[in-house]
Amino acid sequence: MFNRDRDRRGALTIAGLLVGLALLMLASLHLGLRHYAPWQVFDAVFANGQGTDALIIRTLRLPRTFNALAVGAALAVSGLLMQSTTRNPLAAPGVLGVNAGAALAVVVGLSAFGIASLSALAGLAAFGAMAATALVFGITLSAGASFSPVHVLLAGVTVAALLASFTQILLVTDESTMEALLFWLAGGFADRPLILLAIAAPFMAIAFLAVMPMTRALDALMTDDASAQALGVPVVRIRLTALGLAAILAGLSVSVAGPVAFIGLIAPHIARRLGVRGHAQLVPAAALVGAMLAVAADILARYLVSPGEAPVGAVLALIGVPVLIALLRSRRMGLQRR
Amino acid sequence: MTGAQVNSGANSGVKSGADPGRRWLARPGFIGGLVVLLCLLLLLAVGVGSSWLSPDRVLRALVGAGERMDQVIVQTLRLPRALLAAQAGVCLALAGALLQRATRNPLASPSVVGVVDGAAVGVVLFLWLFSNEANALTVSIHFQPLAAAAGAVVFAAIVGLLTWLDDGGPMRLIIYGVAIAALASAIVTLLIILGPVFRASQALIWLAGSVHQAHWDDVVSLAILLTMSLPFLALMPRVMDQFLLDDDTAATTGLAVGATRALLLLIAVYLTASAVSFVGGIAFVGLIAPHVARLILGQNAAPYLIGSALIGAIIVLASDIVARLILAPLELPTGAVTALIGAPYFLYILIQRGRSHA
Repeated sequence: MFNRDRDRRGALTIAGLLVGLALLMLASLHLGLRHYAPWQVFDAVFANGQGTDALIIRTLRLPRTFNALAVGAALAVSGLLMQSTTRNPLAAPGVLGVNAGAALAVVVGLSAFGIASLSALAGLAAFGAMAATALVFGITLSAGASFSPVHVLLAGVTVAALLASFTQILLVTDESTMEALLFWLAGGFADRPLILLAIAAPFMAIAFLAVMPMTRALDALMTDDASAQALGVPVVRIRLTALGLAAILAGLSVSVAGPVAFIGLIAPHIARRLGVRGHAQLVPAAALVGAMLAVAADILARYLVSPGEAPVGAVLALIGVPVLIALLRSRRMGLQRR
Repeated sequence: MTGAQVNSGANSGVKSGADPGRRWLARPGFIGGLVVLLCLLLLLAVGVGSSWLSPDRVLRALVGAGERMDQVIVQTLRLPRALLAAQAGVCLALAGALLQRATRNPLASPSVVGVVDGAAVGVVLFLWLFSNEANALTVSIHFQPLAAAAGAVVFAAIVGLLTWLDDGGPMRLIIYGVAIAALASAIVTLLIILGPVFRASQALIWLAGSVHQAHWDDVVSLAILLTMSLPFLALMPRVMDQFLLDDDTAATTGLAVGATRALLLLIAVYLTASAVSFVGGIAFVGLIAPHVARLILGQNAAPYLIGSALIGAIIVLASDIVARLILAPLELPTGAVTALIGAPYFLYILIQRGRSHA
């Protein structure tokens, strides 16, 4: 009885989030340096209208909205998986050196191999992101089970510093990569070729679908390893699979949008705050919250330094850090023990 | 919350127990060895570079004899650089030693608590605000350290305030530090992207931590800042020894724990801000130097502080020599070299701690 009640509330929340996301996406098509009326947007999207306005909406606003949607959802699920499998409320792709790994891979590609094509660099970025994640979790797991959330955070920050120093050394030897790197470091949803999203989106969808059958096991994993084992959950396999999927999702996001921090960290917490329990509902809810955050940040980025465009990563940090501090202060993150 | 209160608390404190000074006397060998090593490194730092100067030529140039060319190289180029590196190492290492003792956390370090990123915000903001269209600075570059110090103090104050409002223990300081550092680096990214590319590369060089633009003005300024902290540091060993106990026990020895911790943190922030304003983000020195000092000299505060300072100077000086030589004629940022040494060591400490708690 109780469970059904809870499930119904969760379903209602998810429906509400869907509506909110749809509204935000509509807003994203309308708002910006130029504001459009609803009929203009309709004309551009559905009636294949011609003219500058329709062109702007179709080739600029629409792609960035979908970029934000996909990347936000992927990062949120990635963060949720990292947090659940490590039982660590601070784990998230942005915190764990993913962006530093991607930046290093891009600089190596640019300066050592002279790669210039954007899709090849995107692939490299994804690879660098996954390698950095693997490194941080490798360090964490090799240190044993009692590794506290703060230690994982510090390991991530340190690996990021290490990778950043390699990046600096490469930048010193080859200054021409600076400009390309600055573009990459900006992180954003606008001006990214749609082809990147077209390549990444199917893999994101597959990773997302692969998570759904694992939700019961993830629920069990939230208690502790021994209990989960007793419930028949193959703990090690589930943990490695989930972390692998998390790394893939984070890597794909980086390849589409560059480093976009904080969504993976705070979206799962917001989803839990909304009263959603159990991973079967938590995964879609976190994905929706992440997508909403990304779209909202993208809209905000158009206004913050208007007429210029602010990097979304920075906008998200400006929103995300206060939220993170509020979460830390509310002591629901299970950190009070150490 | 004044220093006077802290000191009166300390003086009425422990009379018993091992005198820190006496045990320190048992270790003059190590300290002397470190001093000798530092002097040798200073000679080496002045000697190596695009033209090699043998130690006797270095010494002759130092005292004003020798060839005129040697004198120029030594006195205006290499000596200020070496001295600045050594001083920055001293400041950062002392800051790290104070932080680690005050928070009783061997993972605490100046770069973790938001000071370095805060200083970066100050510098980038400075470069951004005071540049004209021609990419030239409208005010003297000598104001840059002031901007860095202002940024460092502001962000350290935010971290300190958050930690103080939330009495969740020393580990909180580090979490808030990491969070606020993320905020600061987001602001830096924002400013770098909005500003001109020329300024961006200048800011990135500073961020990476470098002593290559060292000037006698900088050396003197940093020396004054460092000297001003010495009287406070001289008062610290006794209370720092009390800090080896846990908070409750330390309080029963008459220590005003909260006020003392605040004072130690304040000195640490002051020292970090001083160093960072001149040399940028030279990371991990403040973390490693106290560790090594503790390993070879033990826990007593006086040798711990002196050892940390010497080891910090040695690390930065050696890193700078490596940074100059390894890809010559290109120069690496000194901070990149210290990070290459420091980050793996830090990860090693993390793993060791993780295992020992298992």
